[in-house]
Amino acid sequence: MLGKGVGVGGTKAPKPSFVSYVRPEEIHTNNQEVAEKEVALHLLPGEQLLCEASTVLKYVQEDACQHGIYGKLICTDFKIAFLSDDDSTLDNDVCETQFKNKVIGENEITLHCVDQIYGVFDEKKKTLFGQLKKYPEKLIIHCKDLRVFHFGLRYTKEEEVKRIVSGIIHHTQAPKLLKRLFLFSYAATAQDKPVRDPQNHTVMFDTLQDWCWELERTRGNMKYKAVSVNKGYKVCERLPAYFVIPIPLPEEEVPRFQGHGIPIWCWSCHNGCALLKMSALPKEQDDGILQIQKSFLDGIYRIIHRPPYENVKTEDLSSNFLSLQEIQSAYSKFKQLFLIDNSTEFWDTDIKWFSLLESSSWLDIVRRCLKKAIEIAECLEAQNMNILLLEENASDLCCLLSSLVQVMMDPHCRTRVGFQSLVQKEWIMGGHCFLDRCNHLRQSDKEEVPMFLLFLDCVWQLMHQHPPAFEFTETYLTVLSDSLYIPIFSTFFFNSPHQKDINMGRENLDIQSKPLNLLTVWDWSVQFEPKAQTLLQNPLYVAKPKLDRGQRKGSRCKHHQRQLSLPLTQSKSSPKRGFFREETDHLIKNLLGKRISKLINPSDELQDSFREFYDSWHSKPSDHHGLLLPRIEGPEVKVWAQRYLRWIPEAQILGGGRVATMSKLLEMMAEVQSLQEKIEERNNSQGALQAKAPSLLRNSARLSSLFPFALLQRHSSKPVLPTSGWKTLGDEEDLAKREDEFVDLGDV
Amino acid sequence: MWWGGRGHSFNIAPQKDNPELGLSAPKSIQGSGMPEPRRNQLGSCLTSGCLSGEQILAWAPGIRKGLEPELPGTLICTNLRVTFQPCGWQRSQDTPLSSEYDFALVNIGQIEAVSGLSRVQLLRPGSLLKFIPEEILIHGRDFRLLRVGFEAGGLKPQAFQVTMAIVKAKAQSSQGQQYAGIILSKAGQSSASRNPPIPLLETSEDWETERKKQGARDWRVSTVNERFDLATSLSRYFWVPKRTLDSEVRRTFGHFHQSRGPRLSWHHPAGSDLLRSGGFCTASDPNKEDIRAVESMLQAGHSDVVLVDTMDELPSLADVQLAHSKLRTLCQPDSSAAEDKWLSVLEGTRWLDYIRSCLRKASDITVLVTSRVRSVVLQEHSDRDFNGLLSSLVQLLSAPEARTLLGFQSLVQREWVAAGHPFLTRFGETTASEEAPVFLLFLDCVWQLLQQFPAEFEFSEFFLLALHDSVRVPDTLTFLRDTPWERGKQSGQSNSYTKVYTPGYCQLPAGDSINPQLSVWNWSLRYSNEQRLQFHNPGYDPESCPDSWLPRQQSSFTVPGPPSSVWLFSRGALTPLNQLCPWRDSSSMLAISSRWFPRPAISSESMADQEWGLPSHWGACPLPAGLLLPRCLGPQIKLWKRCYLRGRPEIQMGLLAPTISGLQDELAHLQELLRKWTPRINNS
Repeated sequence: MLGKGVGVGGTKAPKPSFVSYVRPEEIHTNNQEVAEKEVALHLLPGEQLLCEASTVLKYVQEDACQHGIYGKLICTDFKIAFLSDDDSTLDNDVCETQFKNKVIGENEITLHCVDQIYGVFDEKKKTLFGQLKKYPEKLIIHCKDLRVFHFGLRYTKEEEVKRIVSGIIHHTQAPKLLKRLFLFSYAATAQDKPVRDPQNHTVMFDTLQDWCWELERTRGNMKYKAVSVNKGYKVCERLPAYFVIPIPLPEEEVPRFQGHGIPIWCWSCHNGCALLKMSALPKEQDDGILQIQKSFLDGIYRIIHRPPYENVKTEDLSSNFLSLQEIQSAYSKFKQLFLIDNSTEFWDTDIKWFSLLESSSWLDIVRRCLKKAIEIAECLEAQNMNILLLEENASDLCCLLSSLVQVMMDPHCRTRVGFQSLVQKEWIMGGHCFLDRCNHLRQSDKEEVPMFLLFLDCVWQLMHQHPPAFEFTETYLTVLSDSLYIPIFSTFFFNSPHQKDINMGRENLDIQSKPLNLLTVWDWSVQFEPKAQTLLQNPLYVAKPKLDRGQRKGSRCKHHQRQLSLPLTQSKSSPKRGFFREETDHLIKNLLGKRISKLINPSDELQDSFREFYDSWHSKPSDHHGLLLPRIEGPEVKVWAQRYLRWIPEAQILGGGRVATMSKLLEMMAEVQSLQEKIEERNNSQGALQAKAPSLLRNSARLSSLFPFALLQRHSSKPVLPTSGWKTLGDEEDLAKREDEFVDLGDV
Repeated sequence: MWWGGRGHSFNIAPQKDNPELGLSAPKSIQGSGMPEPRRNQLGSCLTSGCLSGEQILAWAPGIRKGLEPELPGTLICTNLRVTFQPCGWQRSQDTPLSSEYDFALVNIGQIEAVSGLSRVQLLRPGSLLKFIPEEILIHGRDFRLLRVGFEAGGLKPQAFQVTMAIVKAKAQSSQGQQYAGIILSKAGQSSASRNPPIPLLETSEDWETERKKQGARDWRVSTVNERFDLATSLSRYFWVPKRTLDSEVRRTFGHFHQSRGPRLSWHHPAGSDLLRSGGFCTASDPNKEDIRAVESMLQAGHSDVVLVDTMDELPSLADVQLAHSKLRTLCQPDSSAAEDKWLSVLEGTRWLDYIRSCLRKASDITVLVTSRVRSVVLQEHSDRDFNGLLSSLVQLLSAPEARTLLGFQSLVQREWVAAGHPFLTRFGETTASEEAPVFLLFLDCVWQLLQQFPAEFEFSEFFLLALHDSVRVPDTLTFLRDTPWERGKQSGQSNSYTKVYTPGYCQLPAGDSINPQLSVWNWSLRYSNEQRLQFHNPGYDPESCPDSWLPRQQSSFTVPGPPSSVWLFSRGALTPLNQLCPWRDSSSMLAISSRWFPRPAISSESMADQEWGLPSHWGACPLPAGLLLPRCLGPQIKLWKRCYLRGRPEIQMGLLAPTISGLQDELAHLQELLRKWTPRINNS
């Protein structure tokens, strides 16, 4: 088991490395030797053990019974790990390995995943930070993936307590240097190139060619061009080396304000309208400079206002939309609802669940993002307007909205590869400051804003409302959100592509002999076995049938006619003011039943066209390969239950939840497929397309609603049954058999 | 006559013979100023769908809106119902009523007329319409919404007339109870189509069959209430312990509120018994022998007895009513609750809170019944509301048979209809002010279970909706009476020992006659075949629930002397009791209001934890197969959107469910295709 070290091939003998606590030979080659050891710590290449403490009690569930298991608490430069003394822990359990993460185990927390650390002193819970005078009898760790760990230290030797507690506090909370990230020691030690999955065509957008392809795919190449003016990051360190701008815009203009004030292309809609973004020009006091800025901007706007460009609507995201502080404070209230220390606390808050949820206003923020994205989609789709997103650095809300709009409008972005390329294009190359926003270096809490998580939550809402439209599952989104905190992937550990390149040595190849070899998160085989990866694939998704070119054109037209809800000719600026009679009539017909006076407000034209677009889209059957709009009414925006509730035992419904429907669905799909195949055979045509259904889900009688995460929650000790009541219900053998059945199901 | 709106005035030809717009005269349609040629043609078409005794009061062509697609048709108001009849739609002979297009007058909650942009008038009984409506909105008390837009041009007076007719008809109908004599003609064929029949539990044979099915060998059917002289609210037959004599039953039941003594509700295959009983009459003074008899009936042959204080931690009737009316207000399509305040307003209704307490309690009782062989007695003062709710939920949670379509219907028939739930009063149809939709609360609880365990129920959400919508349709007696006695009286069986059907007997003075054989379970009255197909849950996986999960071994019925342990289940925990009955000395536990008990600290554990010593949420926890333990966390109790938000257009589009039924359709289609193909291949 340990031999499957990440990125390590079994054939090459690894070089001994002075940083590793256990020599590589020991890790990689000799399974038998490992098995003989009492407690084996699984260290990644380059990982160093920092401190450890024994006879730590890990509480299984914080309730009245205070049940726990003894073991060793270990802190390395990568993770905090708990190793049970008991050999029979379920590490080797079949059912558990099914969805096991190969990098991070059930009892492991990466240092970056630690959110808050509390100590319990005489039954009182206090936040721990800095130097401690007194050491707690219990350690509570809240994780960013919402797990909560309780470690009892009462039976641990005092000096060990001191060492481990201060070690953990120091390594998780003290500010760090970028170069000290585990990412680098890992990359330096792991020798082998990760095998690129041939299936994985995620576009990284780090070459000019990638951008050209994207332009071609969206047919934006008539009006926009990819430029390499920033090659070597000579113009600007925030921008990627290659990006796309309008064709008539001279490349010399780009460096004028270090890339500020330049409209950068994000995506082109099928009707030629484009989504653009621009980082605002720096605020200046000096009139002279302001004058220069103004004339520069005027020039830019003149270019993008002229034909062939459509009318441009500017969305200023820094002034009249969400603020980063709002998002930050909402999430910190929101997550508290799920970080539950014990069930008593839980039941106390449960009564007021809805008002607590509402007062966190996280769902409202999700709703506002979705609404803004629909507004933008409406402008692009129905009003034939270009949209220019404007933000200070164009790297926070810009990333969120432009990618959300693309998920809604571009079915390609709802495939797994398309979605990954989208994240790569808008977030990674878009210069979202993952390092700061996730606070990976612990340098400033103020900068920590869960922007990417907000995006995933918005995508989840869409997915929840239109499950068959996505190739990936909510489990995919959940594990993607978890991957934000695993510092062996370079994807989410830099503030900009520039920062990544200079630190990787790609920038100046002559100085360093060899560029570091960093993994991307999109290589899912690093984290999951192929079997577990099937859970990331939505079995309900049906790929758009591929047609040959001639056909495609025709069908495309038709397709768009259907998905367009408004006549395209109806431009916003048209002088036709017959609005009142015809359109309002239509509108009233659509809206009646809602409070009339509240909604009919003829002066608010934007609101009206938005509502009409929204209502008319929803009144038609939706096309999973076309435009996709979410519902945003009060009852429709929901809590992403899988991500937020998965560690709460009270939330588990045995034999219930959507999993139950899902397995039934899969069964029916299999039947449909086999019938289809039979018909196809008769038709003498090629075999039908084969959708892969996760075998883990098949035929399983009693999964729980928290599947696949609930499996990880299984407790090691056998439950004790009072025999008195059970004697009559059936003998224990039966029960045991039943349990075995459950365990074995995964293998089927 | 002039009706003038601001800026507009319409001249409507006064009605010559009928200023009341024809409400009093059945033939008003002749007198109304409808265009002649059209009327004849339409008139015959319209009346063809009429039931006997039904009169068309007014009609107007219109377009149904709000639901896709928009349907042109005719809005008809009769003395029984409001119907929207789409063009070209024919009432099938098999389904004389329509679940989709009919609005029973009693079901109408609120009528709004709309004209132009801003003119909305709420029409109360007796109010006069101030303008010619362009559209009428009829809000059903069952949360449905009928929106009809009227054709403009020349026909506006009709729009006015039909609107006013609806207002008046509704005002007059609120006391009228049922469609008179409508279904008699259909009775023959529909009873034949009721397959397999739901036992109505009006005969002792039905009870005996049911008893055998449950394997309750130590129980018998008592005929002591055959003439309803023991209690009118009790069913004619019920189950009592085998050894108890009818005279004993008569004596002991007298010491309970409304003579509703302890009776068997359900026999658990593993041996436990679930009993329900009314409250002890504290005023009565039973002798020692009676007390012993009461005790032995409660004990039901078990040494372990748990008395469940049903009302403890459950809402009162008034609470339920208030919550439901708040919920209704919130779910109005024009609800003023802002989207960002939606959640807290929803919480403020407390409806979900009450559902949660019902589910939690039911799940606790289920554990009590399952974990040991014992007698569990549900005790509610009246024994007619929450006892039925809890006992039905417990059976749904522990018996896979109750989760089938047939099983659920007979469960409702047994625990609600036959057990004397006062439907009429609870739905506010009588003058008594005890309106409280306890039954709807129950249906919502079942819907929650359906959400949590989508593969465990044979019936679908659509079926629950159908049941939900049935409570106000005045077609059959099932939900239109408060007690089995009244129901029996009406259906003409009150004193007959034999089941001989005497046609003359059921003739009521007013000429009403309702076929006694019809019940709400005759779905074909209102639901077409296609609709009834949707009652089945395509996700149901009967293999996952074995027929019987336990060997039916049972200790023989012996009275083990005084029970060895007597418990009171209250505030989520078991408290030992000194005695079962409150009469022997005044310091008995039950005499004290249980509200005084503080909820013990361990209550954060579920009953399952306490009883089994293991948290039920542990992965592969060996819960008995077929046992469901629902979860009642805040995020897991949901709003039944397809029921309550039906008036809102966005709810019409399903989310996940269409996927399943869509797949099923595809499956059927493919199978058909394959069938067609097969002979062709063979021939060639």
